[in-house]
Amino acid sequence: MKSKHRHKQKELSKVKSPKDDLAKELRTVKKRSKAKIDETLRQEEEELAALSYREDGTLPMPGEEGEETARTEEGEEAPPTETTVTFAEPEPTEEEQELEDKVKKLKKKKEKVEEEEVSAFEAPPETPRAEPEQKEEEEAVPPAPTTPTSAPEEEAKTPRSMSMKARMKDRLRKAKEEAEAKVEQEAQEERRERRLQRDKQQKLTRFDTDIDEAELERMADERQKQLKVRWKKMGRQAEDRGVFMPTPEEAYDFFTREFEHEPDEEPPKEEVKEEEEKKEEEEEKPEGEEGEEDEEKKKDKKDKPEDEEPLIDADDVDEEGYGMYAWRRPEYDDSKETLDKQMAVLYYPEISTVPPEEKVFGEEKEPRFLEDEGLYVGIRPKMSGWNLNKMEHRLLKERESKLRKGGGNWFGEDGRMLALPDPLRPSPSRPPIPEEQEEGLEVQFQKAIVREFDSRYIDGTPNASGFYQLDIDINSLVFSHHHLFSREHVLANKLNELYDEYVLRRSLNMADYLTEKLKTAKKSALHLREHMAAHKSEHDYADRANFERRLLDYKYQIKTGREMRDREQRRDRELLKQIINIWKELKAERTKQNHINCPEKLTITREEVDKEKDQMIWKMEIEDELEEIREERQEEYERKMAEYNEELKAYQAQQEAKKEAETRKKKRENTKGSKASLGSRASKQSKDNDPSPEEIAKDEEIINEPDYPQPDKPEPPDDTVSRDQIVAKAKEIRRRPGEPKLYLELTNTQTITPTQDCPRGEQSRRDDVSKCKVFVKILFNNKEVSRSDSRPLSQEFKVNFGQIFNLKIVQWPENIILQLYEQRGFSTEMLAELNAKIPDASVSSKSVHLEDMSVECNLKVSHSHNGVGSGVSFPFTIKGLEDTTLITRGKLNCSVGWAVDENGELLVPPSTQITEGVVSAMRRMEGMADPIADLGLDGVNDPEKVAKWLDEKRIDPNDPKYADLFYNYKSKGSDPSSKAPVEYYRLEQLQQEFDFCEDEFIEENRRFKLIKLRDDEVQEFKNYKMVPLQERDIPRDTFMEYDKKKREEEKITDAKDIEAHRQVVSKFMQRVREQVIRRFRRLAHQKCLEDVVSEDAVPNIAMIGTSLLKLTERRRPLRVERKERKKVSAQNLRPEDVSILVSINRAIFVPVRASSQSGATTSRGDETSRQVKNIVGDPLVQPFVEVMFQHVSMRTSVGTGPNPSFNEELKLPFNAPNEDYSPANLQQINENIYLNLFDEVVVDISEDDRQRDTTVHKRIEKKWLGSLTIPFSTVYFNGKIEGTFKLNKPPVLLGYSRDDEEEESLAKRKSDTYISLFVTIEPALQTAEPMKERFTTNESEVLLEYAEKWQAELAGKFPKREFKTSVIDVNGKTVFVTRYLKKLEPPDLVIEMGNSDQNRAEFVARFVSLIPSVSDNVVFPGLCDIWSTCDQFMKWMTGDEEEHAVLLANFFLHMNKETWLVIGTAIPEGPTAYVMTKEGDEFWFWNAGTGEHFSKRDAYCPLQTVGCVINQDNIWGNIQQYQKPSQMTFDLNNKSAWKPFFQSGFSNPGLSSCQPEKLYYKDTNERAVRDLQEKIEQLLKNKIMEWRSRQITRWNRHCTQIMRRLLPNLEQNVGKGADQSHIDELEQSFKSYKVSGFPINLAYSEISSITEAVYSTGVHSQESSDVEFAIAVYIHPYPNDVLSVWVYVASLIRLR
Amino acid sequence: MAELHIIGQIVGASEFPESSLFCKWGIHTGGAWKTLAGLRDGQTQVDNPVSHDSAYWAHPIDIHLTTKGLQGWPKIHFQVWHQDSHGRSELYGYGFCHVPTSPGMHEIVCPTWRPSGSFQEQVSQFFLGGSPQLKNHDLIYSGADRYRLSTIAMGKVHLRLGVILRNFDKFGIEC
Repeated sequence: MKSKHRHKQKELSKVKSPKDDLAKELRTVKKRSKAKIDETLRQEEEELAALSYREDGTLPMPGEEGEETARTEEGEEAPPTETTVTFAEPEPTEEEQELEDKVKKLKKKKEKVEEEEVSAFEAPPETPRAEPEQKEEEEAVPPAPTTPTSAPEEEAKTPRSMSMKARMKDRLRKAKEEAEAKVEQEAQEERRERRLQRDKQQKLTRFDTDIDEAELERMADERQKQLKVRWKKMGRQAEDRGVFMPTPEEAYDFFTREFEHEPDEEPPKEEVKEEEEKKEEEEEKPEGEEGEEDEEKKKDKKDKPEDEEPLIDADDVDEEGYGMYAWRRPEYDDSKETLDKQMAVLYYPEISTVPPEEKVFGEEKEPRFLEDEGLYVGIRPKMSGWNLNKMEHRLLKERESKLRKGGGNWFGEDGRMLALPDPLRPSPSRPPIPEEQEEGLEVQFQKAIVREFDSRYIDGTPNASGFYQLDIDINSLVFSHHHLFSREHVLANKLNELYDEYVLRRSLNMADYLTEKLKTAKKSALHLREHMAAHKSEHDYADRANFERRLLDYKYQIKTGREMRDREQRRDRELLKQIINIWKELKAERTKQNHINCPEKLTITREEVDKEKDQMIWKMEIEDELEEIREERQEEYERKMAEYNEELKAYQAQQEAKKEAETRKKKRENTKGSKASLGSRASKQSKDNDPSPEEIAKDEEIINEPDYPQPDKPEPPDDTVSRDQIVAKAKEIRRRPGEPKLYLELTNTQTITPTQDCPRGEQSRRDDVSKCKVFVKILFNNKEVSRSDSRPLSQEFKVNFGQIFNLKIVQWPENIILQLYEQRGFSTEMLAELNAKIPDASVSSKSVHLEDMSVECNLKVSHSHNGVGSGVSFPFTIKGLEDTTLITRGKLNCSVGWAVDENGELLVPPSTQITEGVVSAMRRMEGMADPIADLGLDGVNDPEKVAKWLDEKRIDPNDPKYADLFYNYKSKGSDPSSKAPVEYYRLEQLQQEFDFCEDEFIEENRRFKLIKLRDDEVQEFKNYKMVPLQERDIPRDTFMEYDKKKREEEKITDAKDIEAHRQVVSKFMQRVREQVIRRFRRLAHQKCLEDVVSEDAVPNIAMIGTSLLKLTERRRPLRVERKERKKVSAQNLRPEDVSILVSINRAIFVPVRASSQSGATTSRGDETSRQVKNIVGDPLVQPFVEVMFQHVSMRTSVGTGPNPSFNEELKLPFNAPNEDYSPANLQQINENIYLNLFDEVVVDISEDDRQRDTTVHKRIEKKWLGSLTIPFSTVYFNGKIEGTFKLNKPPVLLGYSRDDEEEESLAKRKSDTYISLFVTIEPALQTAEPMKERFTTNESEVLLEYAEKWQAELAGKFPKREFKTSVIDVNGKTVFVTRYLKKLEPPDLVIEMGNSDQNRAEFVARFVSLIPSVSDNVVFPGLCDIWSTCDQFMKWMTGDEEEHAVLLANFFLHMNKETWLVIGTAIPEGPTAYVMTKEGDEFWFWNAGTGEHFSKRDAYCPLQTVGCVINQDNIWGNIQQYQKPSQMTFDLNNKSAWKPFFQSGFSNPGLSSCQPEKLYYKDTNERAVRDLQEKIEQLLKNKIMEWRSRQITRWNRHCTQIMRRLLPNLEQNVGKGADQSHIDELEQSFKSYKVSGFPINLAYSEISSITEAVYSTGVHSQESSDVEFAIAVYIHPYPNDVLSVWVYVASLIRLR
Repeated sequence: MAELHIIGQIVGASEFPESSLFCKWGIHTGGAWKTLAGLRDGQTQVDNPVSHDSAYWAHPIDIHLTTKGLQGWPKIHFQVWHQDSHGRSELYGYGFCHVPTSPGMHEIVCPTWRPSGSFQEQVSQFFLGGSPQLKNHDLIYSGADRYRLSTIAMGKVHLRLGVILRNFDKFGIEC
């Protein structure tokens, strides 16, 4: 390769050296050839023309040449460029082979330049460079320069004729032959020589700068010459452009000499040339010497560009840059023929405007202009006219062709192309451009937050970005009364008022209007009547009826119209009179006081009238009216007459019939008489004559018929009376004839007497007025934000403020209050507080009108001077104003609106702001259909609403006015009806492809469901400890109950019967409960520091002191003190640890067994026999107590006697539901602890007396004596319960009696049994904290604040007493407690039951006690103090002690008892409410839950402490030393014993009650009650049989019947022991039985509680086989579904 | 269907300029995820360490999730707030980290950043407190172009999370 390069280099240098000589020659040759070509061209064919043209295209443009020369000149002068040129030549030889490629690349760049050079002037620029080389080369290469022919040259020609391969092969062969023969020996020497030479050459070029000046000059000259020549040539070429074809000879010369590397220049076609070329080739080849093969390959490559595509190929570029390429123009054949051909195929649309007529298609050739017709055409997209025209032409053309086929039309009726309005979207959308801040990236600077976010703030925080402003304009204040008014002012003001009314009425002129109306009505009536009369015959019945109706209508109108007119006229007249009266009074006042204070002046203008004419009108009016009335009366009379005639007819007919009957009767009697005398003589005859019995009866009937009353004939109408009336009326209300018309005018022209002329009183008044100043405070959300200047009150009592207050707000406006203050001297008083309305979002401060707000103030002011004062009465002599008490009042002229900023935007909070586009669209349309007016600003925000509005309004979519609007709400897609915007968005749309499973799979997974429900703390699953790991481990029935409950919740049942009603109520309660729980669950999760951190108080010195003192205390081991137990939190509990401790000490007054020998014994059994028994040693009674809780029962050992002492402690296990011992759960438990007192009876059942000595065969039976129920919640909340309780004992206890000795000593208590016990939970459980949340309230702040203070003060002194001022109502609002007390009427039915006052009260108490009771804690966990009002209580039919007590107290209030509500503690309820009444000197306490009452002195009164006493007016706190009622005084006026809430410092503001006006009682459905009664009885029977499934249960029907009869009496006696007679009855019937049984009384809540109660008595546990049972149920219905259920159960054992 | 149980704690924060810090956190998951039990977000107490540089919260995280797809693997995001001596709170950093996908205990350090704000805001922050905050909090964990948001690196939040996975292998996911 190296050798090849070297060789090439040499060759090139050879070629170059003769360049300058050749250049001249070439030019001449060219000139010649051109001439020749000119000639040949003409003969040549058309195809060649193109070719020659191409050649011509290679000629340089003058500009290019200029550039070139400039460059070359530079190259000469500046050596560096020179070097670069030289660099191109020698580099490859010098460089190593591997570098060659790089060089070539470099060259490629150059080529472009060089190409131009080459094409421009066929290498002449090279000449100067070549010169120095040439010298050297001539030495080195002697062979003649003419000989060399370049291979490329020949190649350039060959492709035209020969196939390349053939040529190649040929050449290769030749080359091989020759090269092998000649070259090889010489090769070595030559190479060496050349290397040397090249080295020199290089040096030369490097030191090119050393070339002497002369030579440079010469070079420059030569260059100049060349340029000139070239210019000349250019000129010539330009002349004969496009024709340049050398003659063969010239071409020959040309090729041989020069253009080895420029085959493109000369693509001759002649055969001759080819031949020559071949010759040349032959000549050439020997010259090629060594490396011929390489050369050949090169040629091979070089051939390609000729034949095939790439003109510029990197590989083919010559080192010198004499590439084989030329820059060419694109070929274009513009010969006429082609053009013609093209014209045949192509169509060029014109750019001229198409006349619209052509475009309009169809019959009418006139184009329509839709826009001019008012249709909306939209804005067309913009397009240049030419394009549009071209398109139109094209379309027209197309249409022509299409028409033939029936194509469509592209032009609209307006002769324009069809186009959509503007296809561009209204809002720009584009990919985010980096310069723009992306929305998500916005950063906001926020100030440090001190408080948590508050919903009051419009933007969430007080320092938000929004800017909202309210403008409050306070204009003026005018007093219509003021305490500084003088009497004259009062009158003047009154006058002004009346005058205003007068003016108003004058302008309305209702009287005239009505008169006119009356006239027309009359006219039409008349017309109608005439019409009817005229066409009477023509009308059919329907028409007539129609006319009649119309006539009646007119008449009615006339009548009412007249009445109205009369009313108006009367008012007008009165007004006139009043004004004149007042004015007279005012004048009198002025003269009296001798000065004038106010400018009012009334001018009365009289207008004289024509008396006669007046008279006539007057008369006519009266006549008219009279006529009407007469007509009316006539009609009335006629109607009455008609009636009368009817009646009369009936009467007469009856009379006649009677008469006839009478005669017939008489006749018959006569005939009978004759018959008797005549015997049966004419029996046959008489048979015929004999009237049938029916006839006789009929006659009787007719005779006995009550006579119709003889109708009275109606009076004919009386004219005179009505006439007088009308005249009187007219006189009263109308201007009399001849009376002048009066016109009033009130002016402010009266001069006011100057102050110095006034009397002293007036002077001081005026002085006061001028001192008086008024200002307005503005409160926003109850905070003062601004206040006006204090402006002086003018003498006219007007104040002008004229101030606008701009409130920039950050909080949502809740209220805007304007407070009006008056300043007099140093004192400032608030006159009034006005609530300004918060403006709508659309109300701007510009659009709002000033409004008058009336100011009123009940300030009491009186003055010593002439000022009349305010709120105090002062005398007046005028009619209608006597002794008036005027209060300060006036009108404040002000307005509130949202501010408008400089852009005209409303500064309204964001919820009311609107999207820009829509608003602007809507703003623009100010037509009749205004969406803003229709929908409000809020509505406009909602696109759906607007869409709907658009639909509804049927707005013309073509109306340009609405174009924008329609565009904004344009329908999407093809469906035009759906204008709603798209409402969905897609997120993770590929989600589904990657899902493991369906959603349902997760939903249905029971394990997940369980976990989720547990997490949600749903009641059933709240404390589900372990959720199984596998789904299959979850019991199938886990969700059964939950699902059922859910289903039930959804189901709505109608409350048809009582039971269902109760169920509905309980369901409702359940729902309320759940809501409450849900509401507080969230709160429960919010912990404050105290909940989390329990910190013991750090001991300080004082504490150390006391503890030291303790050490010194004497030890008293016998004095046991109860220690406060530590509360155990829920987490630390194990279920088995928790138990309820019940320690029973003793029972007293236990009933004793009556002698059982005499069968069914009663309390009044045979005493002697019992005595005997006693002596024998049979115990009176063997009581024991059984405690039952959560179906676990324990019993004490048996005590003896009526007053046994047990002293036993029973420990019952306690299991919380779901084993959750947290307070939230525990407080919802509504289970009870049942304590039952039984008598253990041992029955000897030995059959055989003989075995008695050896065998003991006895049965132990237990007889129920009484019970006590303590709710668990009571124990839980109180921690412990301790005391002596009364047992609930049945009124009748068959087989038991009282111990007589006791009876005597304690006559009063005889029927009650008591039990002393102590109940607690071990360990002490944590009680629920009361909710700390503060509730919303409607009470005034002041009151609550005071209440808090009052309560705190008392609680500080008596921490253990209950003081209550406010409670929470069902809506969760704080309500002041006295509001609950109000007179309410008890049901009449209940009242009627009693016969004395006390009796009635007892019945009412009983009624109340029969309403079932549920503790609040159970209903509303965590909220202990929810009080429902009485109507809610009656509706729900459940409530706790407070509700019962409130209801009872209200009933007592209605019964005019002195009643109070007592808040205190009682056993067993703990904190509770009792009702206290004053009965004579005594106070009674009523337990509303049980209906019992106790005297204050009663030692067994369950009420243990009294905290406070409440009635409807006040609350009294107990501040006495003692709190037990028996130790207290109840003199509420005693300030040292009772502290009243409202007292002199803080009086009762007159709190209204929250109770309803009246309670409405629903009658209880008797039938339902009976049904229920039967149902219960049946159920109980079944239950008893079920309980004693081991034995046969027999029922004694006889006993049941008797008991059934007895039960109603028991209700009558209000459970006060049975009436003796009835028991005797029972006794008598069952002499042969041993009867034990008792009636149980319950309030009805649900059936299950009844069965439970029966079960707990253990009646069923009669083991003997010969026992019979009797059960009777009686329900006594009270109003409103309050039911008292009596169950009488008894067991009967036949005595042997 | 697969379950993921995350039990752990937000241990604390370190390397913040001030140490009286608290943190609001939340768990963000994709649509396929459902929370079975536990809280998805919360807020810690303010820890005002006297002797340490770092605040300790030891705030428990216990959440039980189930999923029907892997997309949207849960990530925990934080907002660390600073409470100054006046009781005012200002934002100190945003950060988020993915819940580890392998079972077991993991110690995670989550670096935080906050927007820097303009110069004026910086000055105002220096003297008056307050902080520039993101208007759109999703940006904390979303992949939006944040490169234009100029931020300042704040401290680190330390987490200790125990991850329990269940049934993922049933669906061919090996953790």
